[in-house]
Amino acid sequence: MRKITSHLVAFLLTNLLAITAFAQNNSISGTVKNSNTKEATGAVSVTVKGTANGTYTDDKGNFKLSVKSLPVTLVLSSVGYELQEVTVNNASELLDVQFKPSSSLGQEIVISASRVPQKIMESPVSIERISSASIRNAPAANFYDIVTTLKGVDVTTSSLTFRTPTTRGFNGSGNTRFNQLVDGMDNQAPGLNFSAANIIGLSELDVDNLELLSGASSALYGPGGMNGTLLMTSKNPFKYQGLSFMIKEGIMHTDKRQRDASGFHNWNMRWAKKISEKFAFKINLELIQAKDWQGTDYRNYARAATGGNVKAGTRESDPNYDGINVYGDETTVDVRALAFPSIAAAAPFLKNFLDTLNGGRAINVSRTGYTEKEIINPNTVNYKMSASLHYKITPGTEAIIAAYWGTGNTVYTGSERYSLKDFKMGQYKIEFVNKNWSLRAYTTQENAGESYNATVAARFFNESWKPSATWYGTYAQTYVGSRLTGLSDAVAHTNARAASDVGRPAANSVQFKNGFDAIRLKPIKDGGALLLDKSDLYSVEGNYNLTQFTHKVADIILGANYKQYVLNSGGTLFAEPNGPLKISEYGAYIQASRKILNFLTLTASGRYDKNENFKGRFTPRATLLFKVKENNNIRLSYQTAYRFPSNQQQFIDLAVGSVRLIGGNKFFATKYDFANKPLFDFEDLRKGSITQINVAELKPESLTSFELGYKGLLMQDKLLIDLYGYYGEYKDFLGRKVTVQASGPAIVLGDTSKGNRLSIPVNSADQVKTYGFGISLDYRLPRNFSVGFNLSSDVLKDVPTNFVAFFNAPKYKVNASFGNTGFGKDKRLGFNFSYRWTQSFTFQGDFANGILPDVQTLDGQFSYKFPSTKSVLKFGASNLMNQYYYNAIGNSQVGGVYYVSFGYNIY
Amino acid sequence: MKYIINRMKISFLLAFSAMLIFTSCNKDLEQFYELPPVPPSGTILGDVLKANADDSLYYRLIIKSGLLTTINNPATTYTMFVPGNSAMRSFIVAISGGAVQPTDPDAVFSGFITAFISQGNAAGIVSYNTCPQKLVSSSIPNTFPNFQYPSILNPAPTVSALLRLTTFPTTRNGAWVNNIPLVPSGINIPASNGVIHHTAFLVAPPSKFIWERINTDAGLTYLKAAIQRADSGTTATPGVLNQSNLQSVLSNIGPNLTVFAPTDAAFQITLTGAITQALIALGVPPATAAAQAAALASSPAVFSNPALYSVLTAQTVKGIVVYHLLGNRAFTNNLPTTTTSFPTLLNGAVPTHPGLAITAIFGGLPAFPFVTTSTVKGLGNATAANIVINASPLIPDPNGTSDQHYVNGTLHKIDQVLLPQ
Repeated sequence: MRKITSHLVAFLLTNLLAITAFAQNNSISGTVKNSNTKEATGAVSVTVKGTANGTYTDDKGNFKLSVKSLPVTLVLSSVGYELQEVTVNNASELLDVQFKPSSSLGQEIVISASRVPQKIMESPVSIERISSASIRNAPAANFYDIVTTLKGVDVTTSSLTFRTPTTRGFNGSGNTRFNQLVDGMDNQAPGLNFSAANIIGLSELDVDNLELLSGASSALYGPGGMNGTLLMTSKNPFKYQGLSFMIKEGIMHTDKRQRDASGFHNWNMRWAKKISEKFAFKINLELIQAKDWQGTDYRNYARAATGGNVKAGTRESDPNYDGINVYGDETTVDVRALAFPSIAAAAPFLKNFLDTLNGGRAINVSRTGYTEKEIINPNTVNYKMSASLHYKITPGTEAIIAAYWGTGNTVYTGSERYSLKDFKMGQYKIEFVNKNWSLRAYTTQENAGESYNATVAARFFNESWKPSATWYGTYAQTYVGSRLTGLSDAVAHTNARAASDVGRPAANSVQFKNGFDAIRLKPIKDGGALLLDKSDLYSVEGNYNLTQFTHKVADIILGANYKQYVLNSGGTLFAEPNGPLKISEYGAYIQASRKILNFLTLTASGRYDKNENFKGRFTPRATLLFKVKENNNIRLSYQTAYRFPSNQQQFIDLAVGSVRLIGGNKFFATKYDFANKPLFDFEDLRKGSITQINVAELKPESLTSFELGYKGLLMQDKLLIDLYGYYGEYKDFLGRKVTVQASGPAIVLGDTSKGNRLSIPVNSADQVKTYGFGISLDYRLPRNFSVGFNLSSDVLKDVPTNFVAFFNAPKYKVNASFGNTGFGKDKRLGFNFSYRWTQSFTFQGDFANGILPDVQTLDGQFSYKFPSTKSVLKFGASNLMNQYYYNAIGNSQVGGVYYVSFGYNIY
Repeated sequence: MKYIINRMKISFLLAFSAMLIFTSCNKDLEQFYELPPVPPSGTILGDVLKANADDSLYYRLIIKSGLLTTINNPATTYTMFVPGNSAMRSFIVAISGGAVQPTDPDAVFSGFITAFISQGNAAGIVSYNTCPQKLVSSSIPNTFPNFQYPSILNPAPTVSALLRLTTFPTTRNGAWVNNIPLVPSGINIPASNGVIHHTAFLVAPPSKFIWERINTDAGLTYLKAAIQRADSGTTATPGVLNQSNLQSVLSNIGPNLTVFAPTDAAFQITLTGAITQALIALGVPPATAAAQAAALASSPAVFSNPALYSVLTAQTVKGIVVYHLLGNRAFTNNLPTTTTSFPTLLNGAVPTHPGLAITAIFGGLPAFPFVTTSTVKGLGNATAANIVINASPLIPDPNGTSDQHYVNGTLHKIDQVLLPQ
C-alpha cells in the first residue's frame, strides 16, 4: 500500500510538471453548450475520431485536447444529446459547439447485463437504468428511493435511511438474495449481512448511474444475486469535474402524529478536479440528519416459532399483550405454573380456588414493555465520505484508489428490531481499468459501533429494575388477592400489573436512561444487548475481454475472483471459540457471445464458485437476442443462480427471546451435542406429535429461471416499451426451523415449555415456484413532457402447507409518472410526479407476520434552473399526501418529507 | 411571463387532478379498540336481598356489617349464603340468651341486630358467608373431600392479604355449606354481580383452632395428653406452623383436618386393656394386672408416667393420634353412606395403610336429613367406633360432639380409640 502511494505521489508530481508541456502541443480547445438553453454542458466525451485519444468537457463546458496533427474530426457524445462530429483545421481556433439535446428514448448504454458496454435496447436480460439526469429530475428525497419506481421492484423500509430493494419477491429488511454493488464492490455488511448502500454508499451528487438487473444474475456476479443485482456507479473525476454542492432542507412529521414536526437536512458536496490528462481526483461529503420514522405498530402479536400473527387485544385487555413495536413485553410467564404452587403451599386453603381461576388454564402474563419511541433515539445522523485518486497509466488504462466511509444511526429489522447506532463501514479499493481488462482489490471493514438489539435491551432492562422472579411474585399475589375480593379477572390483572410495576422507571427518567444505557452498552455475551461486530471482507477480482483476439469466433470474456470473510463479533453474534472466523470463497466465469445471423445474437456464460464450507457450484446462463428490427428486440434467457448460506446462516449463535439462532456449520452439531441430545420439531410438539429432526448438512439454495422479454421503440421512437415474463424454480430454499432440545428430562409429547429452543437453518425439501411479468411504457410528449407507466406482478406458486417462504411481494404493483424536464422561458422550469401503488399482501418476516394493506404514495417536485451556474432550485415532496405506510410488519410508519433543495453546479 | 404562468397553471392543474385521483387513503394500522365493559344485566346483590321480604333480617345484618357497598360493587362477583328470616330468628334467639323470644315481632329481631350485634361480628358473619366468585349449585362438586372455597373473610389481614377463611359447599348427599343444608327452593337466585343461596341456618364463621377445643374440653384430657406425649422432643411456637408438631398443626391456619377425638372414657378402656396385657406379659397375675392397669389409666398422666415410657413411646402414641386425623375437612354430611376407606395422616408414614373405614346413615328431619349414626373403624379395632352425634342437629362449639367447626378443621368425638393395627 505504501509503495503504491509513493508511486502515485511520483506520478502526480510528474504530471504537474508535464501540464505545461502538454498545453504547448497541437492543442485544440473549445466550449460545448446546450443548443436550447445555452448552458455550458459538462461531462461531454470529446474524442479524436478513430483513436483512443479523448477528453471530457469540464463543468464550464470547456475542453482542451492535444492532437498530433491537423486537421482532425472530433466526436462529441453524451447521454441525452445527439452525437456530433466537428472537423478542426486550425488549433488556434476556439471551438464553440452547439450541442443538441436528444429526446429519443432507449439510447443509454448499460454495462452490467453482459459486462461489456451495450445499448440498453440490446440487452439480452431485463435491465433498468437510472441516470444522473433522472436523479436530478426525480421527486424522491433520496436518490436511492428512485429504484422503487422501477418496474418489478419491491422495497422494504426499515427506517428513513434504511431501504432494501429487491425484485421478484423474497424481500425483507435484510435481504441476502439481492446483490448491491457500489463501484464494483459488494456492499453487504460482512457480519450483519444487510446491504448498507443507503448508509455507506454513494452520495447523491456522485451518482453517475444505477443499473438494476432483475432476477437471477449469479452467472456474472457470483453467489447472492438470485433475485437481482443493483450496480451503483459513481462519477469519474476525469469526466465530471468541478465543485458541486446541494443543500436540501426539509420538514417531516408535519402532522405531529409520531412527534412534533422536525427538520430534514441533507447536505452534499462533491469536488472533482482533473489536474492533468493523466491525473484526477474527487472528494465527496454528505450529511443527513433527521428525526426518523417510528415503528408505531402497537397491535398485539401472538408469537410463535413460525406463522405468528396479529391478534386482538391491548395492554389493557390482554395480560399477555406483546405489542409489535413494544419491547420488553416479549418476556412471558405462566403465572399459574410459576407462582401458584408456592401460594398454594403457603395457603393450602386457596388451592381449590387457585385451580378454578381462568378455568384452570395457563395464566400467561407478559411484562410491561416500552414502545419503540421510548427506547430508540430517533435522531438519525448519517455521514458519508469518499475520495478517489485516478491516474491514467496509459490513455487506455486507469488506476484508481478509492475510499468510501460512512457512519450512521438507523433502525433495522432482523429477527428483532435493532438500533444501529454509530454503525460504521468503510470500503477501500485499488483498481486498474482498461478497455479490455480490469483488476480490482477491495476490502469492506464493518464496525457495528454501539448497535444493539432493542428487544433484548428492553427485556434485560426490565430484569435490571425488577427481576422477573420478583415482578411475577408480586403479580401473582396481587392477582390472587384481587380475585379473593371478588374482583373480575380483568380488574385483578390490572391491579396486579399496577402493583408489579411500582418503581418502573418512566421512559424519560434519568433512572431509565442510566439503566438502559448500561444494558445497551454491555456486550450480548455478558448479558447486555450490544453487538461488537467488526467483521471484514477482502476481495480480489479481475476480468479480461479476449474479443480482440477471438472476435472472429466469438466475443469472449473471462473473470475470476477471490473473497475472504473475517467474521469477528467478539462472540456477540457468531460462534467464535477460536477467535475471528475466516471463510474463503472463490469463483471464475467465462462468457462467449456471437452474432449468428444478422438478427440473432447468442450468449452463453458459466460460472464456478467454491466456498470452503460448501461444495463447488456451477451456474450456467444462456441468452438469445432476436432483433425484430432496429430498436426492437426480443430477448430470451435461461439463467441459474444460487447463494451460499449467508455468514449468519452459517455461524450465528445468538439468543433472541426464547429462541437461540444457531448456524448450520458442523461446528454447532458438536457444540450443542446433536448426537446425544436430539432435536425435535417445535411446531409438531405444539400440534401434538413428536418428530425428531435429523440435522442435514446445509446446502446452497439455487434458482433456475427462464425469461422472455421485449424492448422496443414505437411511435416514431416516442414510446419505449419493455416487457418481460419469467418463471423460476427455487431448490433447497434456505429457511429456519425451530427445534427443541431436551435440557433435562427427555422431551415428551405436547411438551413445548421444557428444553432449549434452537432455531436451525434448513434447506426446504420443497420446490418453490415463482412467476410474474412486468410491463413499462415511457412516452415522450412534445415540449419535454413525458409520461411513464409500469405494472408488474410476482406470484408464488405451489407453496406447501405450513411452508413459510417469506415471499413478501404483492401480486400487482403499479408506478406512474408525469413530468417535464424543461418548459417555460428558456426551459428553466421542470416538474415531476410519480405515483406508486402496491397491492395488499401477507408479509412474513422473522420479526413478525401480518397482512400489509394496499399502499399508495405520491411524490412530486417543481424545479427551476439557473443555467449560468447550472444551479437547480427544487421544491419537492416524497409521500406528498403524508399518508403513512409501512411495507413490513414491525417496520417504521413512513410519512411525508417536504423539502426545498438548492444544487449548485449540478450536471 | 404570461406563457410561463399559463404553463404553470396547466402543470398545477395536472398535478392537482392527479392528487384528487390518488387521495384515497392508505389504510392506517388496524386497531383493536376495547369495547366498554357491558354492565351485567339484572339487579345487584344487595338490592335482590333488599327486595325479598324474607331476607330483611340478614339485610339488616349486612347494613350493620358495613359491607353493603362491597356486595353492591358492580365490578365484583360474589356468591352469598343467606339465612332467611326464620334462620336469622333462631340464630338471634340463641345468641340473645333468651332475651329475644321466637314469637317476637321482626322489629325486635331487627332492633337486636342493630343494637346488640357488633359491627365486627356482623362483618365476620357476612364476609364468611360471601365467596369471591360465582358458584351456581351445578358448579359445586359432590366429591370427597370437599372443595374449599375461600370467603372474603381475612382473619389476619396484617399477616397476609391472601389469608381467607374458607367455606365448604358441597352437593354430596344433598346441598350444603359446611354442615348447614341449603334450602332447595332458595338456591341459584341470580343477581347482576353474583348468585344467592339460602341456608337453612346461619353459617357461623369458625373462630378457634381445633387445639383450643382439645386443650380446654374436660372430656378430651387423654387426647390432649396423648398429643403432648406425641410431640415430646418437638416444640410449638405460637403463630408458626411446625409440621412435625401436632399441637402446632392443630393450632394454625393452613392445615385442613378432620379429628376423630376419642373421649376420655374411650382412652381409659383402651389404655387399661393395653397395660393389663403388657403386665401379664411381664408375669403379673391377671387380676393384679387389671387393677394396676386401671389405676395407671385412671388419669391422663398415664402418658407422662416415666414407668410407661417404654410402652407408650412418643412414636407409638403419635402413630395412634395421627390415625385419628384426616388431611381434609369432613362434616358428617360429607361422609359416605356405604362404608368407604379413607387415608389418614398415618399414611404419610405408612403409605399403604388402608386407613379408616367410615360410613354414615342419614335420618332425622324430613326437610333436612341429618346424619343420625356414623361409624369409624380402625384396622386394629374389633368393632367400629361411633361418632357421638350431637343431641340436636346443630350444637356449636364448645358444647357439641360432632361437626365441631374450627378455623383449621372439624372435630367429631368418638367412643373408641382407633387402632391402626
